Amino acid sequence: MLNVRICVGTYCYITGGEELAKLKKNLPEEIRDKVEIIGSACLGCHDMEGVARPPYAKVGDVLIQECTEDKLLDEIYRQLNMERK
Amino acid sequence: MLNKDKLFVEVGSYQNNKYGNMVCGDCVLLKKCVGENRNIAVLSDGLGSGVKANVLSTMTASMAMNFRVRHEPIIRTVKTIMKTLPVDSVRNISYSTFTIVDVDNNGEAKIVEFDNPPLLLVRNGKIHQFPTSDTIIRKEGLTNGLDERRIKLSDVTLKKEDRLVFYSDGVSQSGIGNMDMPFGWEENIYQFIEDIIEKNPYISARELSKRIVKQAELNDILKPKDDTSCVIMYVREPRRLLICTGPPFSESKDKYLAEIVSSYRGKKIVCGGTTSQILSRELNREITVDIDDVVAGLPPKSTMEGIDLMTEGIITLGALGEILKAGMPKDLNGQGPAWDMFRMILDADIIDLVVGTKINVAHQDPTLPVELEIRRNVVKNIAALLEEKFMKDVRLQFI
Repeated sequence: MLNVRICVGTYCYITGGEELAKLKKNLPEEIRDKVEIIGSACLGCHDMEGVARPPYAKVGDVLIQECTEDKLLDEIYRQLNMERK
Repeated sequence: MLNKDKLFVEVGSYQNNKYGNMVCGDCVLLKKCVGENRNIAVLSDGLGSGVKANVLSTMTASMAMNFRVRHEPIIRTVKTIMKTLPVDSVRNISYSTFTIVDVDNNGEAKIVEFDNPPLLLVRNGKIHQFPTSDTIIRKEGLTNGLDERRIKLSDVTLKKEDRLVFYSDGVSQSGIGNMDMPFGWEENIYQFIEDIIEKNPYISARELSKRIVKQAELNDILKPKDDTSCVIMYVREPRRLLICTGPPFSESKDKYLAEIVSSYRGKKIVCGGTTSQILSRELNREITVDIDDVVAGLPPKSTMEGIDLMTEGIITLGALGEILKAGMPKDLNGQGPAWDMFRMILDADIIDLVVGTKINVAHQDPTLPVELEIRRNVVKNIAALLEEKFMKDVRLQFI
């Protein structure tokens, strides 16, 4: 099971985390049982100001910055070694 | 004795408008005099109904409240009210009823009643009689000779679990003309209150006042024939609520924050992602975010062992502030974390706000929405609203 953690802290939530949080419901059928989407109260990325931008999410141990649903799915498929249709 | 830490006066009220009216002709004002530890409640019923009644009752209640706050003698208060109210063009009198109840920290209640249905003292689940004395206040009427008002005064020493219940005549006269209560609800209300308290001895003032007004509405078959209001003051063991938000200014205080949370006796709310993380680390308890629960545009709730409610910080607190600003809502069915917090707050008497003052630099980004205010200010507003509008005992601590 691949762990996907989506930050729903204040900063991430208002910069797009709200949309990411809905991913759980929109997950493609083929990977639904291979991925576990969990929320995180805060991934603790505040001190990355200037280096990276929110919203943040983690796929396994890989941190994704300026995360979008698209980026997130790309990374999930990459780590699952599957072709994204 | 009502020791501040041992007992608390919970004040609750509920109102209904006369069927088809946009405004209520009754006026209820509640005030907590923070410095003196007094709770004052005023109920006034204006002559007639609608806007005119609303103006009369609001004037009466405001005057009664402000005079009472300043400890003015009752005779002066009543005379001023009589002099100030406009004379009704139909009935030729300047008139509106009032009940003033002032309960201090020692449980001493001073009660002044004029023409409202008699105030009830509920003790040990039964309506309890208490001595009253009458005073007649006279004033030269403007058009119809001598104007006389009979005022009922009483002093009662309240004990724990006592309730003072008072209401406008819309309640006691509800159901008038019905087969089973041709003369209205009147004294049958006593039995109604006793029955509720027997089944639910610790029912809050807020809940009981609502039940009474709702029953009055039923008596009138859902079309209230008059404005109906009920106010209850309930002396009880205070219910405590801790709201923690924000990381402490200095990291060395993280342990102290965790200590406050784990040793607190009462309900606990934690607002803020970083704050949650600190507690998770210090208390070694895991956080689970309920990511499916995205309602009302607010970030989802989380759960942690020993914490009754865990939410995001500033956005949720901002939403709570908006709910509080709107005053007591008619129903409490709102969804989302801010409403969950609001409901917990209503059930509490003493609210301890522990606020970490560390500034989240990321939030200062000018491209972010303006709702991201500084935590300290948001919390200060919430604290003020809780004291003024909701009669809560609020203690604010910055760390």
